[in-house]
Amino acid sequence: MEPETSQFESSEMLATYLASTPLLEDSWRLCSRANADAPQSFLVHCAGKVGYLAFSGVQVVDCTEESCRKLVELEVYANGLFGGFCAAGDGDREPIMMHGGLLQLFMMFLNTQNFLSKIDELLLKGCKSIVCTGHSLGGALASLSALWLLSTMQTNSPSIQVLCITFGSPMLGNESFSQAILQERWCGNFCHVVGQHDIVPRMLFAPATPIMKELVILFHFWQLSMASPCLGQLASQLSYEDIVEVFRLVLTCAEKRCGETKDREGSVFWPFGGYLFCTDNGAVCLDNRVAIVKLLYLTMSKGSAASYIEDHLKYESYVGRVCLHYLRRRSLTDVSFSESSSEAGIAFALRSSGIEFQEAIYGTAKNCLAMARHIGCRRNINNAKMAVLLAKVNPLRAQIEWYKKFCDQSDDQMGYYDAFKHRNTRRGSKVNMNRVKLENFWDDVINQLETNQLTHDFHKLLKYVNAAHTYTLLVEPLDIAEYYRTCMHKSKGHYIEHGRKKRFKIFDKWWRDRKVGDEERNPRSRFASLTQDSCFWARVEEARECVLHLTGERDSGRQSVLLDKIVKFEQYAQGMIARKEVSVDVFAKNSSYSVFKEEWEELKSQLQLLPPRFPVSQESTVQDMCIETENTYVVRFS
Amino acid sequence: MVEERLGERIGLREDVIQRACKLSMKAHDKGKPYLHEKTRGTTDVLLAFPGSWCVDDWYTRDPFGEVKVDVSLFPCIRSVGNEEIGLVNEAFARRFDALLNRSSLATEVEKAMSEGKQIIFTGHSSGGATAVLAAIWCLEKHIRPNHSQTMPLCVTFGSPLAGNHVFSHALRRENWSRCFVHFVMRHDVVPRITLAPLSSIQRWLQAVLESLNPRSQFHLQDSSAASGFLLSVMRNALSVASHAACILKGCTSLLLETVASIVDLSPYRPFGTFIFCPGNGKLVVVENPDAVLQLLFFCLQLSPEEENTEFLCKMMRDHFLYESELQESLHMQDVTYLDSLVNIPLEAHSTSKYSAALNDLGIMAQARLCLRAAGELERQRMENQRRIDSNRDTIKEALKKIHDYKTSCEIRKIGYYDTFKLQKDITDFNANVKRQELSGIWDEIVEMIKRYELPDGFEGGKEWVELGTLFRRLMEPLDIANYYGHLLNEDTGPYMVKARPKRYRFTQKWREHAEGMGAGGSAETTFWAEVEELREKGYDEVKGEVLRLEEELFGWVRDGWVGRDVFLEGSTFAKWWKTLPHEHRSGSCIAAFFKN
Repeated sequence: MEPETSQFESSEMLATYLASTPLLEDSWRLCSRANADAPQSFLVHCAGKVGYLAFSGVQVVDCTEESCRKLVELEVYANGLFGGFCAAGDGDREPIMMHGGLLQLFMMFLNTQNFLSKIDELLLKGCKSIVCTGHSLGGALASLSALWLLSTMQTNSPSIQVLCITFGSPMLGNESFSQAILQERWCGNFCHVVGQHDIVPRMLFAPATPIMKELVILFHFWQLSMASPCLGQLASQLSYEDIVEVFRLVLTCAEKRCGETKDREGSVFWPFGGYLFCTDNGAVCLDNRVAIVKLLYLTMSKGSAASYIEDHLKYESYVGRVCLHYLRRRSLTDVSFSESSSEAGIAFALRSSGIEFQEAIYGTAKNCLAMARHIGCRRNINNAKMAVLLAKVNPLRAQIEWYKKFCDQSDDQMGYYDAFKHRNTRRGSKVNMNRVKLENFWDDVINQLETNQLTHDFHKLLKYVNAAHTYTLLVEPLDIAEYYRTCMHKSKGHYIEHGRKKRFKIFDKWWRDRKVGDEERNPRSRFASLTQDSCFWARVEEARECVLHLTGERDSGRQSVLLDKIVKFEQYAQGMIARKEVSVDVFAKNSSYSVFKEEWEELKSQLQLLPPRFPVSQESTVQDMCIETENTYVVRFS
Repeated sequence: MVEERLGERIGLREDVIQRACKLSMKAHDKGKPYLHEKTRGTTDVLLAFPGSWCVDDWYTRDPFGEVKVDVSLFPCIRSVGNEEIGLVNEAFARRFDALLNRSSLATEVEKAMSEGKQIIFTGHSSGGATAVLAAIWCLEKHIRPNHSQTMPLCVTFGSPLAGNHVFSHALRRENWSRCFVHFVMRHDVVPRITLAPLSSIQRWLQAVLESLNPRSQFHLQDSSAASGFLLSVMRNALSVASHAACILKGCTSLLLETVASIVDLSPYRPFGTFIFCPGNGKLVVVENPDAVLQLLFFCLQLSPEEENTEFLCKMMRDHFLYESELQESLHMQDVTYLDSLVNIPLEAHSTSKYSAALNDLGIMAQARLCLRAAGELERQRMENQRRIDSNRDTIKEALKKIHDYKTSCEIRKIGYYDTFKLQKDITDFNANVKRQELSGIWDEIVEMIKRYELPDGFEGGKEWVELGTLFRRLMEPLDIANYYGHLLNEDTGPYMVKARPKRYRFTQKWREHAEGMGAGGSAETTFWAEVEELREKGYDEVKGEVLRLEEELFGWVRDGWVGRDVFLEGSTFAKWWKTLPHEHRSGSCIAAFFKN
């Protein structure tokens, strides 16, 4: 028996660890200072190697416009602000969306405050990590700042760690946002501390518009209290009934979300990153978003109107107590637990979440924790399993390599690509089967990686980067051959633009991002065993089509566009050949590339006048390159 | 069933323990580098080391003042394949260095060892850390070259943790772990001190150490200092223990990694056998280092009624009570061995002996879950080894196939390296598939070792070291052939620098470690890679290297580490060698091999 999941519940232990570090207390201290001293702004503090940015919870969100109260598309509203992050979403999902008002607030912040210079100051002081923190609305700003730092600093100073710790912060984005955070492997960079009954982190389960008036008043009260506790007298503008109405709406919406089994579609808010649930009995920490949604509801279900409001201001005591709590020995005589590690662990975790055994929701909560643990199954085991699976598919790859060798030496002189494209032997179809099997394997790798089932550094392990690269170089030509063989380009458009599978793009990125030494690279002495651009054949196909179209084209404008493309390809191909970055199959007598060259030669002899399109210097480099190859011809420009 | 006495079980007699304790306390007073005591009628030699109560002798810098161990003194304190060098508290290491250089310790130990004496290194407080390092040094110097000598023992009392997890790993691998016995009073704070970063306890540390010095009359007047200090140490111990417990429990959250990379965590971990004294005359013995770490924190947890200054001050006195406590408990012999951690009952009222012992230490259900997790990890490691062991026959079978392939190639006078490189026949293809299969199995093993998922002794196991060598000698030439056959060197660089798989790096290091060779002592399997790189260069450019390689090859062939197929006519090596200048070839030490 191989245990798929650990039998031990670790959510409470993780919370204990977080609480035992100075990060939580330091963050809170700065947040409360920022609340009092830096309204609508932020504080900067350097504590040894850790730099803090603490955003005040006292902020003004303009909610007059409808778009400010709900989710807006990140790419449209914050064009390019988060670097490549927006593009991280994938085609089938809803685009990444965020709360309009909070996003707008952050963007104003970025424009008006001397944000960057403060961060530079921290780095100059020797900070190795930056903690963005904030209470209430400040938490949302902290999240967006951390996200912004992660998406921009990763390229500039990758060694700097970024962590975001929020206290009672509202949710921020939709499911695609949460998923994108997961895919970027940033979900460990966000820790949202949630008080037992605090309404703010749950507020956006409900639509904002019907309760706008009440919310404005509530926030007004909270912010007055943050600035100075004695100011906090709940204004009498709000009748008790109104508040109860607000909470009832939030509670109902939260309950509905908790009960949903399937992923809900359409613009609703989802938690992202890790959540630290604090109660008077301890704390638990989770990072599974479905479990977090459930627990957000389950832990609040016993609250009262008063506790919903007060808990938003109780973080001082939550944070101060949670560590002390775990320093004490507790006999836990009031918890009934079984001798099973799994059951007992969950019982303790639930007690720490403030959910008692006698309650009706106990069963739901228990399943919720068990599910989260099961899904977060041990990545290490999966990694090791992946190594075994990779070893199992390697023979398939070896067979394809063997096939390539066979094609390259075969009498029909078609080369690997064309032999597969025009295949009619059993051997060819066997290779096609291998191709499909490998495709399944690598798609599964990507799927596991994206669902966070492999270790966070998986895509940086040289073993897999190399294996994926070799796979791409070896098999993508076959994918291209299959694409053009089945005439997909006629219905969908050319391969590179319209047919290239996501996995190849991802593997290209891994290969580009891998760590390489900066030692000099000797020029190749022989042709590579695999053509170093896996899309080479797709480019050949496109160029051949251009040649074909050019033959019938009479419009000089379009003519020159086509010509341009062909000459560009020719330059590219000659460069590849000159650097010996192509494999020998390219030169096979009947390969698509050879056919292209013949066709192009013939066309050129028909076209008498070709206007020079390149500056002389470039032209000469083209010629220089050509001289080195044996299959040289020089473009004659008249 | 007659219950074994503690002394028999741990291999250290009760009277020796008591004398060691007494001598350790006495060592503090004398101002000598160490005390030395022999007992008439036995071969025992006790060496006791004094402690120090000066902050600089505990921390050299913030946060934890750890450095890599001096590999010339402690060559075994590392992991073999990973080559992770152990980390030691620099202040303790310096004290030991000074002792070694400025006292007669080395000669005294030398003499006692040669006379076949049983040496017992001992120390109280930071003297225990010195004793530990002295014992490891003695094991490295005397036992490693000669296993038949009497193993030294080491017993400490309230000693601070001095080394990181590599110590425990390496000592268990070398089977030296059983030489170390540490007594810890339940509430003695000293064994936990180094779990806290200097900055968190700096303001109290000097005063606290002063009050812990049995020679000084200084008492902590300020009870807030005691409580501040204790609370800070406890909190940091909680940090270390909860972080370790998260990993034991299989926590998958990325937050754990992020926070651990921001907040400094003490590297120090327990190793050897720990004997906890609850203070009521009983003893609890634990060997699992992960469990010891959890106990170090959880024993300190206070119940609400204990949270008063009176109790905290009493805690500070636990550090002096070893002598009297041991006198009682060694006499009573009420000992519990926590050796089946996965079966620990969670319920405090359970009637088992385990439960009573844990109650004495204040270990409640949640802490017991952590102990179970520690036991579960150990069980999982054994399970992993069993699974890996079951692969041995598959490996042997596959290697036999490759061996047959090799023989069949030799008949054709080319050698399997070059035949494989050409990949002409179906047999070459089949050999390639076997290569991939074997790689998969070995990569999995390496992966597990990297994550410390196999028992600590794995890399010291004779059978696997031998199988690894066999595998390496047969298979690595094929990997090299594949690499250069596909011109991967042009994309990735030389095989040795860029592409040598860990399965070969690891197995080479296993053998080198087992045979006590230096790094590179068993590099015979990389021969082909060297040939491939050398033949790309001009003779004059690499003359020296060619000579060196020839000399090495001569030895390898003589010892049977490299087969004679490398000299076959059709081999890359033979072809290249024949292009070397005549003068070189005629004087070469391997010239004779080509004639047969």
